[in-house]
Amino acid sequence: MFDKYTPPFTINYEGHEISVEKEQGNLIYRRTCAYETTEKLILDADGDFLINPIEPVNLPKPITSFLLIDFERPIMIGPASKQKIYLTFPVEMGIFISSRKGEHELIDMFTLNMSKYTLYGTPNHGIMCRYWKSEVFASYPNLDIRYEGDIELDIINDTNNWIEVKKSVFNAFGMKIYYGTDRTSMRAFMRVVSRNLAETGFMTYTTTPEFRRSMELYTARKLTLSSIKGIMEHGI
Amino acid sequence: MNVTEIISSLPTIPGIVFNTVGAVFVLIIAIAIGKGLTIYLQRSLKDKIDKGHLDILLKVGYYGIITLAIVVFILPLTGIERSGILVTGGVLGIVIGFASQSIVGNLISGFFLIVERPIKIGDQVSIDNNVGFVEDINIFSTIIRTYEGLYMRIPNQTVFTTNITNYVANITRRFEYVVRIRYSDDAEKAIRIIQEIIDSEPFALIDPPASIFVNNLGDNSINIIVRIWAPITEWYEMKTRLLLVIKKTLEEHGIEIPFPQRTVWFAGELQTRKLSGNGKDHLPEEESDVLTEEMTNNLPQLQEGTKE
Repeated sequence: MFDKYTPPFTINYEGHEISVEKEQGNLIYRRTCAYETTEKLILDADGDFLINPIEPVNLPKPITSFLLIDFERPIMIGPASKQKIYLTFPVEMGIFISSRKGEHELIDMFTLNMSKYTLYGTPNHGIMCRYWKSEVFASYPNLDIRYEGDIELDIINDTNNWIEVKKSVFNAFGMKIYYGTDRTSMRAFMRVVSRNLAETGFMTYTTTPEFRRSMELYTARKLTLSSIKGIMEHGI
Repeated sequence: MNVTEIISSLPTIPGIVFNTVGAVFVLIIAIAIGKGLTIYLQRSLKDKIDKGHLDILLKVGYYGIITLAIVVFILPLTGIERSGILVTGGVLGIVIGFASQSIVGNLISGFFLIVERPIKIGDQVSIDNNVGFVEDINIFSTIIRTYEGLYMRIPNQTVFTTNITNYVANITRRFEYVVRIRYSDDAEKAIRIIQEIIDSEPFALIDPPASIFVNNLGDNSINIIVRIWAPITEWYEMKTRLLLVIKKTLEEHGIEIPFPQRTVWFAGELQTRKLSGNGKDHLPEEESDVLTEEMTNNLPQLQEGTKE
């Protein structure tokens, strides 16, 4: 599914039919599923199409750049230690058109998951987050990549106490998503500073032809370094 | 003719001309510095402060420098006594203050509004029962675009001294429905159905959670309160859409919204009972037919009456 397509083409994917047809020198992009139809006329017949995972904070419409992952089971981490766990995240797919010069532009996105949002913190000082409930795995989980990707999360406890962690908040501006034929992955860290304060961020994987980095919608070019991190100051 | 004589024969520049040229020169430099500072602040603060506040800051900076230059450099050059200016200014200030009380009041209120920042440009607010979007916050007044699209100018003194409700200051908002169902319907089932609808709504927040409960056993219905939290940007669209979804889904499950009902007891109730029950057999046949006809004729009116 996550691949480059040259028009005309038609893909059937879990109830979604994605097609691009040529018509009088232009392209007609169409995606239909049981509950919606999207159609766009593209005034350039030379583009290729790329389908790859995008930051999972966009649907049904982007109102935040934060993803809150709620752990099915809280985890306890010992003082001054570092542990690795695996979480899941919802997969959202972006459909990009790319010109011959290599410039990409998002034209559509969809997901097979149900979207849900939540407030992290208080109504006056909190942040809006895309909500996702995840099981906590000790090793790499086998997931249905149509629905879920995995986050390899390093939890670093900088305190001298045992800490209970129930959730993690990530900022899409730092996300780096990688995809292959059988997995969609991110690599992240969560540094616990105190019982109510933590910092999250993302790290890179080594890419191979089989495991590529996806296009990013949330780029941090104009932002300072701290803005790409998730600051959890309303509890962990 | 020696050098001393040549110099003494040259026309001397009067002090007033020199001072005037100096004052103009200082003013030009002050304007240049003011402009330079304005440009610098505009470039460095463009992405950090919103446009309204940046404009005010730039104006304060520009005119502040010019005022400083006048008071510190130009007045001494022109020989005007600052103490005299202060006395004159004080007297003039009192006169102008009395004459323009409301203007000064608006100006000071505008300053405090900028400092306190209860509203920002683009916010949806209610000021003195005027509801709409904040279009601009000026020194003397605040401009509102009402939901009907009307332009409204509210003096800053009014804005500062009246109650302000800012609808978008917080990122979430709660809205509420009262869903009335019949006494014959299963209230627990209705609550379960409404909960499922809310669970399937992306922007009905997980936290704070929605609350659904029987609030009141009314005269004609069981009243279920539904309270939903939503992002501030999405609540209105949700509120206007979701109630119809709840109504339709409840109806699909056989749960209906009741009409107000009233049980009416008639004076001839015994006769009615006789007609409708076994008692009909005890009435003479002619009397029974007359009563039946009367009741049949009155039936539509009675039905209408019960619906009111």
